[in-house]
Amino acid sequence: MRVTQGDRVERTAEPSDGAVVRAVLTGDVEQYSVLVRRYRDRYARYASRMLGSLDAAEDAVQDALIRAFDQLKQCRDPDNFAGWFFLILRNRCFAERRRHKRVDGLEHAEELAVPDVSLASLERAEQARSLERALLQLTPEQREVFVLKHVEELSYDEISARVGTGVAALKMRMHRAYDRLRELLRETR
Amino acid sequence: MSQAFDPRVKQVLDGERPAGDLPLALRAEAEAAQRVLAALDRREVSLSPQLDARVMAAVRRRAASPRRRAWRWFTAPSVPPWGLAAAAAAAFVAFLLLFRPASVGSPGAASPLATAAGPESVYVRFVLTAPTAQHVALAGTFNRWDPSATPLTRVGAEGTWMVTVPLTAGQHQYAFVVDGQRWVPDPAAPKVDDGFGRKNSVVSVTPTQGRVL
Repeated sequence: MRVTQGDRVERTAEPSDGAVVRAVLTGDVEQYSVLVRRYRDRYARYASRMLGSLDAAEDAVQDALIRAFDQLKQCRDPDNFAGWFFLILRNRCFAERRRHKRVDGLEHAEELAVPDVSLASLERAEQARSLERALLQLTPEQREVFVLKHVEELSYDEISARVGTGVAALKMRMHRAYDRLRELLRETR
Repeated sequence: MSQAFDPRVKQVLDGERPAGDLPLALRAEAEAAQRVLAALDRREVSLSPQLDARVMAAVRRRAASPRRRAWRWFTAPSVPPWGLAAAAAAAFVAFLLLFRPASVGSPGAASPLATAAGPESVYVRFVLTAPTAQHVALAGTFNRWDPSATPLTRVGAEGTWMVTVPLTAGQHQYAFVVDGQRWVPDPAAPKVDDGFGRKNSVVSVTPTQGRVL
């Protein structure tokens, strides 16, 4: 998810996002497959943690890619298609979370992958599962900042740039999430 | 122990201070919380290989839908992106008429335009002034409204865009497509309603002579 210098170097041989977006807008619809290939998995982990299952994440990414095509002319900065697409996917994830509330999420939590039990201790695997279940009971906003900070391993500044929320507000959200998680994990013991 | 973490423990979890800086009681609490966070699954996720095909099938259906074109016309702002003032400047216009192509159909006609033109065609030059545009194209009934078929060429430093195309006799509707997004009617040409609440420009071509509209 993090854009690194390495990513940029790898992509120099391919058309930029901006070039692809402009080609699609001028009628070369098949060029959109470049963006689909490029972004189909990039935010899949984020979506799966936000929604609690891989199936839900796949539906969300698919819908977001189609919606992005429908609204492509509204992409004001084609060279930042990645950021714009992320916001579409994010809205989709938030809407989905609000629709199903947390009860459904608890059911889906069973589908989440946990660290390989053969390599990690059972206790560690159980901790991960408990934490995943607890995460599904956070508000979508708290859950998002937790996922971006501790799963995607972004800094607060990077999260702020991505979601358009100030660092202070993000920290407050994160700190409330810590307290809520602590409470939830105690309840499960 | 209270339900809330001590703020210093939160700083540790945020990675803003080492657990070793905390008093012993808090350090144990912070380290326990860090162990829980460390158990998180951070493996990359790959979606099914069929996703690409499903998305592209949906995209192709949408691109082929007449509703999409109608929607594009309906939603495209009527004010060009370079603003009203510049739009007024752009009102320099439309096109001129030109001449009947004498070389049309004759052997050895080298001009691509002459090759494309039929005996009942005239060349018509379309001109738009759009100083801040990066790309301008012409779409109309004569090229199936394809915004990639007839790009204009920027000429001079004034932001004038121009293209000359052979048109058969009759009436043709058209619009300029600026930067691939904005459909702009010709400011100086007659307009007709396109049936979707927006305007198309109109050019009339006679078989024996062109005329300036």
